[in-house]
Amino acid sequence: MSVVAHLPHRSLSLTEEEAAQPPSMELTGRRRMSPADRGLSQTLYEEFHQDPRYHEYVLGCLNCGECTTGCPAARFYDFSPREMLQIAATGDATTLWDALQEKIWSCCQCYTCNMRCRFGNDIAGIISVMRELSVRHGLEATRKTLAPFGRSLTLLMTVGTQVSADMIQPDFFRDWGPFATGSDQVWGVSPEVMRKAIPLDVLQTTRSSWEVSVQTSLELFRIYEETGVLDMLRGLDPDLTEMLVDIIEERREEFREAREKYRDELITMKGPVASFEG
Amino acid sequence: MLNAAEIKKVLEERTQRQRGTGKKVTDVREEMLRLEEKGELLIHRIRPENRPVQMQTLFGWNKKIPTDRLWHHKSCGQCGNIPGYPSSLLWVMNQTGRRYLNEPHQTSCTAWNYHGTATSNPVALAAVAARNFHRAYETDHFPLVHCGTSFGDYKEMRKLLVENAEVRHKVREVLRGMGRDLVLPEEIVHYSEWVQAMAPEIVARRRFDVSAVVATVHEPCHYYKMVPEDAVYDEAVYGGQRPAVPTGILLSLGARVADYSTWYDCCGFGFRHILSEREFSRSFANLRKIRPMVEEAHADVAITSDTGCVTTLDKSQWIGKAHGQSYLLPVLADVQFAALAMGAHPYKIAQVHWHASPVDHLLEKMGIDWRSAKNEFMEYLKALKNGTAPELLHAPRAEIEQYFAINKGQVLPVEEPSVASASVSPGNGRVSS
Repeated sequence: MSVVAHLPHRSLSLTEEEAAQPPSMELTGRRRMSPADRGLSQTLYEEFHQDPRYHEYVLGCLNCGECTTGCPAARFYDFSPREMLQIAATGDATTLWDALQEKIWSCCQCYTCNMRCRFGNDIAGIISVMRELSVRHGLEATRKTLAPFGRSLTLLMTVGTQVSADMIQPDFFRDWGPFATGSDQVWGVSPEVMRKAIPLDVLQTTRSSWEVSVQTSLELFRIYEETGVLDMLRGLDPDLTEMLVDIIEERREEFREAREKYRDELITMKGPVASFEG
Repeated sequence: MLNAAEIKKVLEERTQRQRGTGKKVTDVREEMLRLEEKGELLIHRIRPENRPVQMQTLFGWNKKIPTDRLWHHKSCGQCGNIPGYPSSLLWVMNQTGRRYLNEPHQTSCTAWNYHGTATSNPVALAAVAARNFHRAYETDHFPLVHCGTSFGDYKEMRKLLVENAEVRHKVREVLRGMGRDLVLPEEIVHYSEWVQAMAPEIVARRRFDVSAVVATVHEPCHYYKMVPEDAVYDEAVYGGQRPAVPTGILLSLGARVADYSTWYDCCGFGFRHILSEREFSRSFANLRKIRPMVEEAHADVAITSDTGCVTTLDKSQWIGKAHGQSYLLPVLADVQFAALAMGAHPYKIAQVHWHASPVDHLLEKMGIDWRSAKNEFMEYLKALKNGTAPELLHAPRAEIEQYFAINKGQVLPVEEPSVASASVSPGNGRVSS
């Protein structure tokens, strides 16, 4: 019996249900897009080329492939920094749209491609510009890709650190093994006690990487408000954004109450402590 | 490998500020000075009381590394899941009598999030950098950046703030709203550069002989690939062909540094991947980094100098046994290794219990009695559980600091030493002279 006979077999004829579906690709080979998506892709294309960083980052390409040879993501994904650069340099609205769906998120942002590029392109940088674009417009694929980041974004936006000890839970980091998570199964004490055993007082918390003062977190949130980051996030996840605004409002209230409580001590102080109103 | 004449030629070319491309690279610090003269910004200068040490960067430019009166710009990833990293650094500072400020009035650089999710933009990143720079400035302590990504990001942001007037004006406006000014530090300094600068003092305090230890080095990408011209190089380390840190301190301590074929690869952290696509991170770390380190270099330990690299290389290994890859190579930061060699307590200070790959064999090879230290630590945990006050490396923050970034400026933590002098006794005879 030939080898072919052992291969999985699928009938050539379509079921009625299959036949009723439109083909996934048009005959030109282009992805099927709704008129709305086509319009959005054109907007994205224009915004991308108008970004002031575009001409600084995209300088030219010899197609030598040095960037891709050193790329960690290229070893494991259908991804190539050379392709990204080519799309940035010569692609049209459709090819950019396709790249924004998934491929841009494969990049590790290690900057190895930049270091290897003979032309001095900033490939990692132009991929970041593409990513920002996809976040700002809340593309569906981007929402899905970033869905697992709600917790870390909450932490980052409210206190300005990316991780906390209570995020590194054995259930979510099973692949790290029993020792990496400060698990009470190993040491017989709670994660809170494990953190107490760190000889730096500001690290003795499980809720953030370190304890961040209220003034500091309010200053950070002001930066997010005034530089468009909050609006950007609103496009991606409006519910999360409203929750963040509520959290910060509570911290502002806490700050105001503390100003009352410590009024006598604060009167003698100068600089931002005295002038910052939260 | 290049011969001596070729290396010399490369170094001469670098001195002429030419990269391989022939593209001119300008020194952003020169423009910074011009902007200060015009009143556009302030420069946080390194002064004699910072006890600076001179080093050289990629193109042979001088870089001053302050070694005293430092403001710790902590790393969110280190503090979050490998806390022995910062505690080792502060312990070494205590041992060498360096003054510092470790306070709650700092945010992370937020660049992990930016490189992972892009939910930020350059103006916001620059404003965050400038906010933290100003905080260090008003306390009169020079910022020391713990994380490789923060180091790379802050160099990018310094460049952006210097070269782009529009961003500079916007950031200054944001800062004014919180009563702060635009201040840029004279140098952006990575903690591993401080470790390198302190090598003579660290070696002088070495208590364990590490000459039997074979170490492999992973060079953090964001240390030298983001803004290449500002990384530190030394002709005595790899002939100046690779960054001098963190390899330099290993050589100074007397460890054997072994090479491996994939030294140039990243670790697999990926920023987004380590949190939501770890199958990539662990595959890359195990197959492209750990395996060559073990099979080619027969390493006892992998040493690196960045948050994400320690995390990925260390924590990706445990699951490898599912595919028959039980390498379990210990992964430490350079400063953890240095602290251990100086006699730091492996658990109370180096906090090796947060690491996924066991460090026991390495400690034995260094001559450290880890069993006694572990028992002592278990007792300490019990005491903490029963309400004993924790041992600290410096005086704790005041209650008011929970809310306000008070300007305590001249507080000198080292002069008020707390309990934690925690160190271990030399173990089974491998005591250095």
